[in-house]
Amino acid sequence: MPKISRRDLLQYIGAGGIGAVGGVLYGESVQRNVELLIPQVVPPEDYSPGVATWYNTVCNQCSAGCGISVRIREGKAKKIEGNPVHPVSQGRLCARGQAGLNVLYNPDRIRMPLRNTGQRGSGNFEEISWDETLTTVASRLGRIKIEGEASRVRLLSGRVRGHLDELFAQFMSLLGSDHYQQYDFTYPSALMAANKMSFGIDVLPYYDIKNADFLLSFGADYLGTWLSPVHHSLAYGHLRQGRQGQRGKTVQIEPRMSLSGAAADEWIAARPGTEGLLALGIAHALVSAGHYLGGDRDEWSSALQAYSPSQVSAATEVSENTIARIAREFSASTASLAIAGGATAAGTNAVASIVAVNALNYLAANLNQPGGIIFNTEPAFSDTSGSTQAGLQGMLDLVAAMEAGDVEVLLVHDTNPVFALPANVGFRQAMKNVPLIVALSSFRDETTEMADFILPTSTYLESWGDDVPDPGVGFPVASISQPVVATLYDTLPTGDIVLSLARQIGGELPVSMHWATMEEFIKERWREEFEERGTEAADQEFEEFWRAALEAGVWGQPGAAAGDQALPSSSSIIASISDPVSEFAGDSSAYPLVLHPYLTATFLDGRGANLPWLQELPDPMTSVVYGSWAELNPVTADELGIREGDVLDVESAAGTVRVPALIFPAIKPGVVAMPIGQGHAAYGRYAKDRGVNPIHIVATLMDDRAGDLAWAATRVKIKNTGERLHIIKTDGVTRTLGRQILGPGNDHG
Amino acid sequence: MSISVLDALRPAKKPALLVLMAVFGLFVGAWVHGKYFSDRSPVQPIEFSHRVHAADNEIPCQHCHIYADKTPVAGVPSVSKCMGCHKSIPSVRDSPEILKLAAYWENREPIPWIKVHDLPDYVHFTHKRHVKAGLACQECHGPVETMDRITRVATMRMPWCVDCHTERSVEHGRDCWTCHK
Repeated sequence: MPKISRRDLLQYIGAGGIGAVGGVLYGESVQRNVELLIPQVVPPEDYSPGVATWYNTVCNQCSAGCGISVRIREGKAKKIEGNPVHPVSQGRLCARGQAGLNVLYNPDRIRMPLRNTGQRGSGNFEEISWDETLTTVASRLGRIKIEGEASRVRLLSGRVRGHLDELFAQFMSLLGSDHYQQYDFTYPSALMAANKMSFGIDVLPYYDIKNADFLLSFGADYLGTWLSPVHHSLAYGHLRQGRQGQRGKTVQIEPRMSLSGAAADEWIAARPGTEGLLALGIAHALVSAGHYLGGDRDEWSSALQAYSPSQVSAATEVSENTIARIAREFSASTASLAIAGGATAAGTNAVASIVAVNALNYLAANLNQPGGIIFNTEPAFSDTSGSTQAGLQGMLDLVAAMEAGDVEVLLVHDTNPVFALPANVGFRQAMKNVPLIVALSSFRDETTEMADFILPTSTYLESWGDDVPDPGVGFPVASISQPVVATLYDTLPTGDIVLSLARQIGGELPVSMHWATMEEFIKERWREEFEERGTEAADQEFEEFWRAALEAGVWGQPGAAAGDQALPSSSSIIASISDPVSEFAGDSSAYPLVLHPYLTATFLDGRGANLPWLQELPDPMTSVVYGSWAELNPVTADELGIREGDVLDVESAAGTVRVPALIFPAIKPGVVAMPIGQGHAAYGRYAKDRGVNPIHIVATLMDDRAGDLAWAATRVKIKNTGERLHIIKTDGVTRTLGRQILGPGNDHG
Repeated sequence: MSISVLDALRPAKKPALLVLMAVFGLFVGAWVHGKYFSDRSPVQPIEFSHRVHAADNEIPCQHCHIYADKTPVAGVPSVSKCMGCHKSIPSVRDSPEILKLAAYWENREPIPWIKVHDLPDYVHFTHKRHVKAGLACQECHGPVETMDRITRVATMRMPWCVDCHTERSVEHGRDCWTCHK
């Protein structure tokens, strides 16, 4: 037995120990990361991990009212698609609708009630509890009510339909104020006013693009932004390819080619502001060529006397041949349809222009015909007639009242007039005179930033509600909006905030508005509707109906008779025609160009700018991503010596914005087009400080009969600042770079 | 006189022994780690025993793992499921592990179990198909009813999957897209 010295033994043990530690470390290094397996504490009833459930609800990203299906897995919303059984969207959805997930999961959502701690508009807010917020606001409102000063309380909301609209109206009237209004930049005020004049109707008719053979659109970008783009896109598909051996034709009349213009067979750039005149010229050609078969041909001839193609051609810069040809095709088609929107509906002559287009439809016998204008029945419920729409006139009145100190409390819900009104209106400055501003919003936009209290609302995917689509679909339809996920943060649905305030204010408010929650209110109203519609129903039956309606997300009566609206008389339409002469703000010598702001399919009036998916979506016509730009025809650009990327000062009498130039061939020379939506000073990390807002330099002109902003009636001038900026876009160059792609003689390098 | 190399090697004897000891230590260390600290058999927040539940009390697997035949995941039972039974089992009510369970339940907190069987995200594995194909749970998870603490017995790596698919001639069982979408 060899002797081992004490020192050696310790060394051996040490070596063994080091080895063992090494072994453990090795074992540790090849371990997989520890992953946890977290169970539910109490699983929800219809919960199956890994299996998706689809819930139907209503989209809130624009006013079309599409039905959506939301894919839910493990209680989380994963994907939004169109609801296949909803008559508006029919299983389809646009980019804005898809981006609804960005609303829900937006990192800039307000998660707690906030109180302003600094100067108004400073953006300094502290988080406070719901109790304190509601108590403070309710006690202030209650005191004003007791003092009999309730008319000094104003409620301004974004476009809201369905029973939330009723709830707002009821809350304000019980409070004692008749100042409940809605402001939505995209509200078709001129269209409503014109239809009232021509047809005597208060609800939008159904424009049956689907069954039309010949669609004549005066500025309405029906595929991108006009009224109900998803529905129109479906209809357009049918117009083109849905019928064997028959391909509908579309003609688009607008100064700057929109998505619908690009999809049209013919794109006509009339002189801006003369589209209504062109419609009357076409009407004149139609009547004088004998295509109108009515007995009162002479009355029409004399009414249209001043609009002979030669005169109209000179004013509109559209050739007489084109006018005559369109008149012929329009009247010869079995189902022709003329629609008006966009810039045509945003001049000082907007109502007269749309009336002219309506007259054209009358002359071609398109009223209440398949493929024409089909009058809708009254909506299933809710007032969509626009009586609460403020328009520019209402907003000017509100600003005047605020400046005069007549507004003590301003409640603002989900609308952003600081952004979506010309800077000249001075909404932001006027807000400083209001002692208390309470904002109900999910995001801190420019208007919300001015509030003293911000009450964070749950998004539409977390709230109860209902909706009647506008325009309707030709038969009575109503949709239910249900929460598809649990509320993510400490927010409340708008309806529940109103009900809580009513409870706390006390008096007759909680007596009349006795519902504990919005869900209870909606359900009770639907029960009333259900019973009113003739079914002498036992409770059980309503419960069945309610469950079915929730499951489908929509209720409708497809068999019900279409509008029983009597056809308007010829004489009333003739009487409504007036000279569609547009005025422009700014002298044409000082401001030689016409500003053409346009709604984008992504941001609409700017409300989509805080959604990253929409920010990274290239513009469909120019392929530009991020920021703002000013489009110029190559001819105009050449005259002014402007190249793409030159930074321009676009100046109107109302203000100046600085944007890079984009040379775009599909725009009329002499027109500067700018997309609306960017240029936010607040509204979260994705929207803030990106691009410019053309609405701010629009002059505050309006069509008096529509009472709304004529945002396409401003003249501008352009100054090249000498700076340059690289415009980010996904398409390449428009030149062939000498590659002879277009064949000999056509290659201009 | 014979010549021995031993004398020449003698100075190297001690370093060699030291290295030998270190290597031996390495194996011991790795074994100890594997036995007591391995991710194959991690110590769980509660010493839950499948032996007690599945063997002694003969509770079928899918009584607790209710989603195994319906969804991609077998589903770890909810805390309410555990308490559903344990509320009415007085004999073990005061055992330290059940007290831990009760504490989670009272605080409405989920139990942070450590995953033993985990597949990477690029593998689209579904329990449903395997259960429907008539595979016993033990084929992949080993004899869980004998385990006090769950130990992973299979490698859960691709050769192991493919071997089984080949052996059983699974239709499209060797197609990449069957598991990698």
